[in-house]
Amino acid sequence: MFSLLQIAIRNVMRNKRRTAITLAALLVGVSVMVSIRGALNGLQRSLVQNVVSGQTGAIQVHRAGFLKNVLSSPLSLDMPQDADFEKKLLSVPHVKAVSPRILFAGMINVADQTIFLGVQAIDPIREFQVVPLRQATMGDKGLMESGKVLDAMVVTEQLQGALQGSKVPKDAPAAILAPDKDGALSGENVTLTGVMKLNMPGEKKVGMVHIGVAQRLLKMEGRATEYIVAVDEIENIPQVAAELRKALGKEYEVSTWEDIATFVKQAMQRQSMILSLVAGVFMILMLLGVANTMLMSVLDRTREIGTMMAVGVRRSKILGLFLMEAATIGAMGGIVGGAVGSVIVLALNARGISVTFPGSNVPFTIHPYVSASYLISIVALAGMGALLFAIYPAWRASRLRPVEALAGG
Amino acid sequence: MFRTTLLTLAMTVLLPTVAFADPTAEELLKKYDSVMGPENFSATILMTAHRDDGTTRAYKMSMLKKGDDKFRATFAEPAAVRGQEMLRQGDNLWVYMPNLKRAVRLANRDSFQGGDFNNADVLRVNYQADYSAKVIADSGRADAWLIELHAKTKEAAYDMIKLWMRKSDSQPVKGEYYTASGKMLRAAEFSDFKPFSGLVRPGKISMKNMLATQRYSTMTWDAMDSKVNPPSGKFVLDDLGR
Repeated sequence: MFSLLQIAIRNVMRNKRRTAITLAALLVGVSVMVSIRGALNGLQRSLVQNVVSGQTGAIQVHRAGFLKNVLSSPLSLDMPQDADFEKKLLSVPHVKAVSPRILFAGMINVADQTIFLGVQAIDPIREFQVVPLRQATMGDKGLMESGKVLDAMVVTEQLQGALQGSKVPKDAPAAILAPDKDGALSGENVTLTGVMKLNMPGEKKVGMVHIGVAQRLLKMEGRATEYIVAVDEIENIPQVAAELRKALGKEYEVSTWEDIATFVKQAMQRQSMILSLVAGVFMILMLLGVANTMLMSVLDRTREIGTMMAVGVRRSKILGLFLMEAATIGAMGGIVGGAVGSVIVLALNARGISVTFPGSNVPFTIHPYVSASYLISIVALAGMGALLFAIYPAWRASRLRPVEALAGG
Repeated sequence: MFRTTLLTLAMTVLLPTVAFADPTAEELLKKYDSVMGPENFSATILMTAHRDDGTTRAYKMSMLKKGDDKFRATFAEPAAVRGQEMLRQGDNLWVYMPNLKRAVRLANRDSFQGGDFNNADVLRVNYQADYSAKVIADSGRADAWLIELHAKTKEAAYDMIKLWMRKSDSQPVKGEYYTASGKMLRAAEFSDFKPFSGLVRPGKISMKNMLATQRYSTMTWDAMDSKVNPPSGKFVLDDLGR
């Protein structure tokens, strides 16, 4: 068995040009597959991070039924916003921070123009503890000044655009109108203090106010419609969600970022599927190349095979020899390709690739990476695939008739 | 003799139908406007909004109308909206918020105080100006005519309305309100027909929300006087809050 491997390696090394061409095919194929996977890994991790630390937070807590009724009257499904409730949330292990929000629909009036908008009422200081990336999307001036809550609103660029283009001066007087928790129309004066970038696709006309302003407007003092829970590591999210469910009981619903940003999850699954398809096609093309060179090799070496048979080498050994040669090339190509791919991925990881999603204006950097298990599996796949695609040429070789083979086929 | 009797009989049966021909769509629309939004009036109205969770909210307001397109509503109850006023002038609609001390423009199709009427339902009753109408032959009920209204202007409250008016006195009895795509948003029933200082009209409208079917609102007229002539000065922005 060992001598067979030695002969196989010697044979592979003997015809340098053919081996080089096959190796090149494998190298390109495997390194491209590794690079694409790496880029996608990086993209998907950034996507998750962008969602978790820039939009939804890791976990959201609502009153039961809130998400189902989010379009009708979510203000009646509210919860306390106080230290007792927060203590309950913070007592769950791995919970890093919590922050209350109120989401509501209303109108904004500037000059003689009134338009609809979605409002997110937040506690700025704690909001940035649960969704730190958000800080980057906010303007230079915000909802608080030296610890004091401002009657202020920060609007998305799209909302500012809808409000008479760019003619709205900074610090423009405005009013928010919204039905309060009883449905009565209520209004509060605010100043437009800043412009923020939209950080995810979705509702574009959005304004952000301090939760205190919203509580006054909606007559919801000491209440919130949701709590965002930050978790120390992304991997701990499911466990923390389960424990929160246990701690809060049936009255509340606990959702992870995957439940809320379902489109992100779906997009990721779609991307992975497409990648598998592309990788599969690459692999087959590559392996067809291997099969082709092996077949050429068999035809080239007919006389040699005849000689081997004439001196008593068994057909099974011939079969084994050619399979071994293919596996050797496959393994070599896989390893070298994997190594080249890893170098590319590492280089891109160090450099980072800047990407902006359609519908969002916040560019973010992706850092490609691949896991060791993926590398091992791709090298194994290249070797096994080469072996599989060499079965036919090797079988052809083992079926040759010694006399004819000696005569040169 | 026999023939004469037959003729007389036929005449007595046929004559009423000849004398009282079916009203045209325009006539019905005019009748609707004359009872629901007479040229000038003052009224006190109670709106009760029944919400998804089974609770109710009551709003008490007084309303003034002058000419075709001037409305002013002033809220007295509940405390949260006391002092709020709504003013309509042509296609413009404002709400005056006492705490803001100024008026803010509103959209016609926005919900009126979070209930199931929209602003135009209450403050823009001029169907002749806003809609073109045609009579639908099969009204689905023997006691009422059905007219179909299509919006002539985008400021109208709805894209399409089906309105049933009873044959006995042409009073509105039922309405269905649709989007341009044909989705039913709301359905109204008119009841409690009685005279208000001489004008017979529905004293109550019940508006059902067809999107959130647990919700409906009723509007009850406590008093209405269509013989008043409020001064024009009541219908300007500067007068709000005074």
